[in-house]
Parts: sequence; C-alpha cells; structure tokens
Amino acid sequence: MNTVIEAHGLEKRYGRVRALDGLDLSVDAGEVHGFLGPNGAGKSTTILVLLGLARASGGNATVFGQDPWNDAVELHKRIAYVPGDVSLWPNLSGGEAIDLLSRLRGGTDDKAAYAERKARLIEVFQLDPSKKGRSYSKGNRQKVALVAAFASPADVYILDEPTSGLDPLMEGVFNQEIRRAASLGSTILLSSHILSEVEQLCDRVTIIRAGKTVETGTLAELRHLTRTEVSFARNGLTEADIARIPSVHDLALVNGRARFTVDSDKISSLLPALTELDVKGLRVAPPSLEELFLRHYGDELNPAEASLARSPSRKARRREAAKVASLR
Amino acid sequence: MNTLVTLLLQRIRRDRLQLLIWIFGIALLALFSVSAVEKTYGDPAGRQNILQLAVANPSILMLRGTPEGGGLDQFVFFEIFTFIAVLAGLMNTFLSVRHSRAEEESGRAELLAATPAGRTLPTVATIVFGALVNVVNGLFVALAFIAGGLDAKGSFVAGCATAAVGLTFLAVGLFAAQLMRTSRGANGVAAAAVTAAYVIRGIGDALGTPSADHLHMTVAWWSWISPIGWGQQTLAYDANTLTPLLLNLALTAAFLSLVFVLQAQRDSGASLLAGRLGRVAARNSLSSSLGLAWRLQWPTVVGWCVGSAFGGLLTGSLAHAVAGAATADPTVEKVMEGLIPGGTGSLVQLFISAIFVMVGVLAAACATQVIIRMRQEEVAGTAEQVLATRVSRARWLIGYLTVGTVSIVLVLLSGAAASGLSAVAVGDTSARIGDSFAAAAAQLPAALLYLSVLALVFVALPGWTVGLGWTLLGLGTVFGLFGGLVGMPEWIRDISPFTHSPVPIGTSTDWSGGVWMLCIAVVVAILATVGMKRRELNTA
Repeated sequence: MNTVIEAHGLEKRYGRVRALDGLDLSVDAGEVHGFLGPNGAGKSTTILVLLGLARASGGNATVFGQDPWNDAVELHKRIAYVPGDVSLWPNLSGGEAIDLLSRLRGGTDDKAAYAERKARLIEVFQLDPSKKGRSYSKGNRQKVALVAAFASPADVYILDEPTSGLDPLMEGVFNQEIRRAASLGSTILLSSHILSEVEQLCDRVTIIRAGKTVETGTLAELRHLTRTEVSFARNGLTEADIARIPSVHDLALVNGRARFTVDSDKISSLLPALTELDVKGLRVAPPSLEELFLRHYGDELNPAEASLARSPSRKARRREAAKVASLR
Repeated sequence: MNTLVTLLLQRIRRDRLQLLIWIFGIALLALFSVSAVEKTYGDPAGRQNILQLAVANPSILMLRGTPEGGGLDQFVFFEIFTFIAVLAGLMNTFLSVRHSRAEEESGRAELLAATPAGRTLPTVATIVFGALVNVVNGLFVALAFIAGGLDAKGSFVAGCATAAVGLTFLAVGLFAAQLMRTSRGANGVAAAAVTAAYVIRGIGDALGTPSADHLHMTVAWWSWISPIGWGQQTLAYDANTLTPLLLNLALTAAFLSLVFVLQAQRDSGASLLAGRLGRVAARNSLSSSLGLAWRLQWPTVVGWCVGSAFGGLLTGSLAHAVAGAATADPTVEKVMEGLIPGGTGSLVQLFISAIFVMVGVLAAACATQVIIRMRQEEVAGTAEQVLATRVSRARWLIGYLTVGTVSIVLVLLSGAAASGLSAVAVGDTSARIGDSFAAAAAQLPAALLYLSVLALVFVALPGWTVGLGWTLLGLGTVFGLFGGLVGMPEWIRDISPFTHSPVPIGTSTDWSGGVWMLCIAVVVAILATVGMKRRELNTA
C-alpha cells in the first residue's frame, strides 16, 4: 500500500522547549488514522510541520513523497485542513468564509457541484451561514471549518481535534462525513485526545506523548492498553461478592458502590457474574487517554515532563494573544 | 461601595503602566516645549515678530491655536496646548473604550455583570477612574509648566483646561462604546471625534480677527463649538478664566446621562447601531488572499481617505486666504519667502506642501494599519487557514503589500483631489490643482518606505509589528513635522522619512530624496518577500 504521510525522528524545538522529540508517523493511502495524545503532546505541532507552516528542527517528514516545507503550495492543492481552535474573520459571514477557503483551495472549479456539496453540508451540520464570524459560538465556528473542509474534495484531510465544541448529534454527522470521505478513497489524519472517538472511526492509530511516538498499530493490536472502568451499586455489598467476578483490578468499595477496572477485551466474561449479583446503576466507562497514560507510563513521567504537560498549550497561548490583539 | 472600590482598584492595576506612559509623555511634552520656546524665541522682540507673522497665517493658527499676548508664558500655551489637548483626548477615548466596549466584546463584562457589581457599577467605576486619571494628568501638566518656570496661576489654569478636555472625551468615548458593536468601531468613532474637535477649533482660530497689536485674536464662532476650543478660551497666563470649562463639564454631563439611559435600555453585548447579518455566499471578488486583504482593510482605508480629503479641503480653501494675507502684508510675504529654498516659489505652494506632509502621515498610518492587520490575522489563526490552502507565504505577503500601496495612493489622491477642487471652488487659479497633486506625489515615497519597512519588521520580528509600527510612525512624525518648530538638532530630524520628502515649490524641485526613498522601499519590500518564504508561522 502507498504511504501518504511519513515522518521519521521528527524534532521541533521552540527555544528550549522540545515540542517534538523524535516522532514517527506513517499513514497509508485510504486509511483513517487516529493521532492520539494528551494535551500538549505535540499533535498540533506535528500537523503544522506536515502543512509546511512550521519547519522541522530535525528528522524528516514527507507528504505524498514531497517535502512539506519546500513544496507547501503544491501539496496544499491536495490537502483540506481543519485547525484545532477555529478562528474566523469577525466581519465575514460563515458562508463567505466557506466560499473563500474553498476557492483558495481550488475546489470551486465546478460551480454547480460545489454549490450542491456546500448546500448539503450546511443542511446536515445545521449551520446558519449568514451570521458574522464574531457572533458564532465555538461549536459553530468548528462547523464552518468542517463545512469548508468537506465542501471541496481532497486527497488528504488533516483534522486537528475536529469535534471539540460539537454536541453529540453533530459528532454523529461528523462521523458520517468522515466515512463518506473515506469511502471516496481519501486519506484522513484525525487528531484527538478522546479515545472513544478514535475507536469508532479509525483503522489505525498512533499514540504520542511528550513529542514521541509511544504506540502505533491497529486498534485490535492496541486493545491490551485499554482497561475499562466498571462501577455499580447494590445493597449489602461485600468484598466476597466481588471476589466472584473474574479478572477484577483496582477494586474500591465506597458507600455501597463498587468500582474496579477490567481489561477491555475481557468485558464479556464479566456479564454473567453481574447478572447474578443483580446490580443497580451499572456504569461501564472506557478509560480516558490520560488515565491510560497514567497507568502505562505514569512511572516514566519525570518531573520536567510533568510540568511541560501542565504548561499552557499552544492553543491557549494563541487565545491569549488574540485577546491582547483585540484590545489594540 | 466596597464593590466600587474593588472595580476601581482593578482598573488602576490594569492600566497603571499604560497610563503612566501617557501622563509622563504629556508632561514631558509640556516641559520640553517650555525649554524649546525659551531657547528659540527667548528674545521678546523676535517673539513678537513671529507672533505677528502667525496671526496673519491661517495655517499656523489652524495647527497651533491663537496667540494671546507676547510673553513667554503665553507663547508656550499658544504653541503646545492644542497638542496636549488632543493627546489628553485620545488617552481618554482609548481608556473609556478599553473598559467598556472592549470588555463587552470579549465577554469579560458579562462575567462581571453576573456578580453583584451588575451592569451599571462597572461604568460608574470607569467614570470615577477616568476622572481621577484626568485630575492627575492635569496636575502633572501644571507641575511641568511650573517646573519649566512659568507662572503658577496660569499653569494651574492650563492643567484644569487639560483635565476638563480629557474628561469630555472620556464621556465621548463611553458614548461611542454604546453606539458601536466592536471596540475597533468605538475607538474609531471616538478618535474621529477628537480629530473633529481639533479641526473645528482650527477653523475658528484661522478665521479669527487679530487685535490691533497683532498679539491677540478674537476667534470665530467655530472655536466655541469645540471642547478643545473651550480649553483654549481659558486664556491661560493671560486672562486666566476657568468659566469656559463649565461648557466642558456640561457636555460631559450630557454625554454621561445619554450613556446611562442607553445602557439601561439595552442587553449586555448589544449596541445602538446593531451588527447586521452577512451574505450567505461570498462575492466573486473574495476569491484570493489579495481579495481577502482588501475586504478586511477597505473600511479602514475609506476612513483614512475621508480624513485626508478633509485635510485637503481645508488646504485648498485656506490657500486663498494665505495668499490674501501675504499680499496684504508685504513683510509676511518677505519672511515666508526667506524660508523657501531658492526663494522662487510661491507662498501658497509652500503652504500646500506643508499641509500635505500631514496627509503623508495619514497615508503612512493607513499603510501601518495594513501590515498590523496582517499580523493580527497571523495571531488570530485565520492566516493559518489561508496558508494551508494553495496560497504561498510570499504571495500572502505580496497581497498585503499591494493593498498597502493602493491604500497609500488612494489616501494621497483623495487629499489632492479635495485640495485642488476646493481651491478652485473658492476662486483660486486652476494651477492649484497641479500644485495639490504634486504635493501629494511628493509624499508617496515616505509612505511607501513606512509600508515596506514595517513589512520587513513583520517578517523578521513578528512580535514587534504592532508596537514598532506605531512607534516608528510617531517618532517620524514628531521628528519630521515638529522637530523644526521645537528646535531639535538636524541629525534627529534627518532620521524621519518625512524630512526627506521633496518640496515641490517653484520651478526647480529637488526630487532626489523621494527617488532614494522609493528605491530603498522597493529593496526592503523585496527583502521582506524573500524573508517571508523562509519564515514559519508565528502566533506567539
């Protein structure tokens, strides 16, 4: 299979901060690839390098075999991009912003087909295109960027946390559009910090932390990483009751409510015991990515890295900067 | 009451550095002007001569004010008060919009309004805070004049006048914040009001009637409808009357009551002039990064063009009066001709050229805003989306340079057209049209130099774009336009591009300064474009 995005030992330093520290990434043609990592792991930085908007300090990255920094314009003809924190022009309407971005991308050559795609997307995302950029909420700004991205066909979609700010209904619409694009043969790189979102959509995932790739593979291959949290209530619960349930880890009993974790691939073996106990208020929650990292890599987290992870993200700094700029 | 104190302290905490710079800057200007006047016009006879000249020259009256006596103290007040008043006005409009509309726009006002502070108390706090700031500012101006050795009573009156003018524009700024939906719009409206107040009193002063000794003037009614004009009419160091400042207080009260009435009526975040819905689809013109840059910038360009046309209108219509004054008083003509290199040009041409340096400053300011807009696009993240399409970084920059160049030309052309046409309209010869366009053309190189140098700053030191942009323009204006008047050494004046702009007078105009600046501008623009190809996106 052809490889569309390839990165080896990618490094990016901002002064003394190492945003990327030897990152590897490989995305094959036609696949939906999840790009996972906690906040501040370097997902957005990687994407900026892949778009040729930031220059790698070390290692190499190619998109369609070309260098993103030198061949940016050539590559951008084949790429649609949705930034993580969408900002719009305050005095341009959403419809104008969609048209502008589509035209700049060159996706409006067939006017009738473009108009049809745009109308359909505005309909499914329930977007009001006549509002000015400044009056959109975060979710609606996100919708404008998504409509603009899907309104012109692209060989690669690079989406940076595209569902942040969308309600569950719209997340469903988004999933449909991803499947539609994938069925047309497009390659999709989907960055996220929500494991469940990636599980629904992606063929393969790459997990990064502190600028390094820690895991990569199909979801089945990564299943060993996940452990699901189960909790339920029952009157007169004792430790002996719980002992009857197989493969329980990290058990806690608080106020008549039991909480424990199980390996995700062993959930089904749990069910007969739960039925037998006649549990109430059963809750089964897949772990968040952060919990996962704490479990698997927590011991490796040295103090310097820990403070880096807590430092404000690039996006937060950008929002601050935008606020400052608006005051002028 | 406790809440009010909290809000007040928060304002002081937030603005302390910014306002210290404003207040010290204004006080230093006052102090500096005293020493400059002492040095340049220390001799009473020379001072009287220059005042008699000023009284006959509407352009000086327009820029400075009206002389009220030949003493050193009165001369200082005549020379510097209107500038101090404009600065105090701008300090106040920026202050009031910063604490009102900008807060609402960012959503912070909502956060405060949801506390027991409510919707009204923050406004009250801003007014109290602004009043305190103006008292301090007035005090510093008075102290600066006293430190310079001027009469204490007159200095106190000048300080009061500064504070009163500032207070009026505090209210004007708050009113503009009620009208407009964005802080950008409110700042624009309020700053335009300050400019209008300066220009209107300028007309009144220029149309005034000189006294028999040519050391005093009775201003025309125009000066009595401007808040800055009322400040001048305290006649500090002369009659020393505070009565005209009652007009400032009355206008302040009127605007503040309007502010409270409007604020009580509207929702948080809404405005009197409502934001409108936009188009569902973009026009065809909005299909390139150049089209986008123009779309984002044209309203501002129109604003600068209107300002420039206004300046041109005054130039053209006053040029006739200047010629009249010169022919009526041969000594004036002689002195003015002595100032012109070669002595071959006409007084009217010199007047037009002098005023058009200011139109040049407007054009450079417009260009500065274009580059600043590019930086704002980069910081806001909208540039990232554009540059992720098939627009290259170099082409993106060239789009803004193009819009900047077109804006400069438009600002200069509207000034020239207004000047030429108004000159003909008041019965001057049609040669004034040519003079106006020549004077405008002479300003093109300096403005283009500002455009390309700031573009290079944007490429090399992105984080400095906004600060350095306005600083360079401010320094260039002060050194180039007022350097001579306050007696700065020649090498400092030579730093300013405006000093090197050609002065098209008579038959032998030296255009070499303009050609040089044009060449440098082109080279710098090419450097910026090449540099942009190698530069990353910088949002920090």
